[in-house]
Amino acid sequence: MPTIITCFKWVVDESYIRQGTAGELDFSVVDYRISDYDRNAIEEAMRLKAIYGGEVLALTAGVPEATKSIKDALSRGPDRAFFAVDPSFGGLEPAQTAALLAAVVKAHITPYDLILCGEGSGDLYAQQVGPRLAEHLGIPSISFVQKVDIQEGKVIAERRVEEGIEVVAATLPALVTVLPDINVPRIPGVKDTLMASKKPVLSLKKEDLPPIPEPYLQTLEMKTAKLSRACEKFGSDDAEINRFLNALRKKAAI
Amino acid sequence: MDFKLTEEQELIRKNMREFAEKHVDPIAVEIDEESRHPAELFKKLADNDWMGMPIPVEYGGAGSDYLTHIIAVEELSRSCASTGFTVSIHVGIAEMLILLFGNEDQKKKYLTPLAKGQNLGAFVLTEPGAGTDIMAATTTAVLDGNDYVVNGAKTFTSNGPTGGTYLVFAWTDKAAGRKGMSAFIIPRETPGMKAGEHFKKMGLRSSQTSEILFKDCRVPKENLLGKPGDGMAMAMAGFDNGRIGIAAQSLGILQAALDESIRYAKQRVQFGQPIARQQAISWMIANMATDLAAARFLTYNAAWLKDQKQPFSKEASMAKLFASEKAMEHTIKAVQIQGGYGYCKGAKVERLMRDAKITEIYEGTSEAQRMVISGNVLR
Ligand SMILES: Cc1cc2nc3c(=O)[nH]c(=O)nc-3n(C[C@H](O)[C@H](O)[C@H](O)COP(=O)(O)OP(=O)(O)OC[C@H]3O[C@@H](n4cnc5c(N)ncnc54)[C@H](O)[C@@H]3O)c2cc1C
Repeated sequence: MPTIITCFKWVVDESYIRQGTAGELDFSVVDYRISDYDRNAIEEAMRLKAIYGGEVLALTAGVPEATKSIKDALSRGPDRAFFAVDPSFGGLEPAQTAALLAAVVKAHITPYDLILCGEGSGDLYAQQVGPRLAEHLGIPSISFVQKVDIQEGKVIAERRVEEGIEVVAATLPALVTVLPDINVPRIPGVKDTLMASKKPVLSLKKEDLPPIPEPYLQTLEMKTAKLSRACEKFGSDDAEINRFLNALRKKAAI
Repeated sequence: MDFKLTEEQELIRKNMREFAEKHVDPIAVEIDEESRHPAELFKKLADNDWMGMPIPVEYGGAGSDYLTHIIAVEELSRSCASTGFTVSIHVGIAEMLILLFGNEDQKKKYLTPLAKGQNLGAFVLTEPGAGTDIMAATTTAVLDGNDYVVNGAKTFTSNGPTGGTYLVFAWTDKAAGRKGMSAFIIPRETPGMKAGEHFKKMGLRSSQTSEILFKDCRVPKENLLGKPGDGMAMAMAGFDNGRIGIAAQSLGILQAALDESIRYAKQRVQFGQPIARQQAISWMIANMATDLAAARFLTYNAAWLKDQKQPFSKEASMAKLFASEKAMEHTIKAVQIQGGYGYCKGAKVERLMRDAKITEIYEGTSEAQRMVISGNVLR
């Protein structure tokens, strides 16, 4: 029976970001949620468990305040969670996240069969954590997956590529990054949410983990993008309508 | 003093919001216009354990506290006040009364299917001649062998046409006054009980309201809830629990009115700028946000007191009175902010305004709440 690891990221819920008067982004009232595609990854792990049995383990790295993320993840079905936790684990780069997750997998979750990640995160969408994690672990990585199955020690995956659909197989253990159309993630039931805190969680502090690489990038500033609008007014008579059409043609809008 | 919700309460609120956006918003306009009971939606609500949240797991519930249920009713009502109310009266009155006063057999037989959402509960008290004045009721239940025989006419029963389990109040000893009323659990199929057609209403249109008529309806003795004569006290206890739910329903309506007002005022341009820049409009929104915050504190406090097993009757009335009157006041403003567009079908504020009105009427009118509150503070 397979052991499936499902990785998730706790991201800012964009609907809470406000724009300040000077155009700066105001994060003061934001809330967080499990990144959308990671919900698909968790759901897919649960779907496979329903067919093949085994165990589903949720894995994340984050700041100590992110305990709610663990409950959220566990309310979606996984049996246990692993939490690499430190105040410095906020705003990690993909390379750092992958290094952390790999360290946890190597030290605490080996052997395993399949790792499921979302194709990209809801905030950065760098699409790097999955492939980098596979690289650290020395296992095959399959991206853009819209259908997945396990058969005789192999993972069979349907990849959506530009030209069409590619079906690939890889020997387990392997890592798969999933697209949102792979399934419809559940909305957890009340009981699932209330029981989530009763499931085992292994928290791993910075001191328990090998050092992670320094970030490659530094964020200097974040501001809102401005759309410049022409704000031209048109009347409703024939001449004005023609002028309107010409204006659209000039902008190649029609 | 700690005003922080638990992580579970925050997650459950978000899950309900997601559920409501996915399953309720798309049908809210249609079920209002058609005055239709969305049975398919209640099946989905049951699948997510929303139909029996504060009921212990051994009786089919989710075992949450009452505040969590209240938060869910609020969030659901933000999308559809009718649906929020149906859940509220089903859980907050029908289930809570059986939980509080039912015996073990009744909890197994009636509470468990209710908590699992397998059928809807109804609270059958009001009569054509007995609204605020419950003592004027005339429905009777006379013991005959091992059965009570119920005769009379009830009206305004929510979930009347669609219910499965009815909690019916009738005189077993009219001469005993307040100690002469009793309550019975009557399942839908019982011969002699008949639900009428559902009423056409101004608002709360998808919630089904009807008369319930009793003609020599035989109810086995074991379906008596609590002791003979405890009916009035149980009805009051039902109101205490239910009123926090109506306050939550009002919060949902208020929050939706605020959301709609902010959205519209920022986007509607008159005199060359968004109307939100006009002080007349922005102050309406400021008042709305402030009253919503105050109503929420009153409501959550009442639920919290209940969860702490402290007296909460006065606080439940205060929360219901304030939240419902503010919902009415501010939905009128929300229509005002949207001008002619707000007055037309298709504008959410139009439905909010019609739905808000009922919160000042049922489970005790505003006047009745003021009687309860003044009775408490003038003691
Ligand atoms: C949509 C809907 C759903 C309902 N659902 C249910 C239900 O599920 N179960 C149930 O049992 N009932 C239900 N009701 C009934 C509801 O609780 C009553 O309508 C309410 O209690 C008021 O009774 P009434 O309509 O007879 O008004 P009345 O009692 O006749 O009151 C008329 C007016 O007089 C005022 N008034 C009355 N007495 C006094 C007084 N002493 N002092 C000052 N003012 C007074 C009232 O506040 C009101 O403004 C529902 C009603 C509606 C409209």
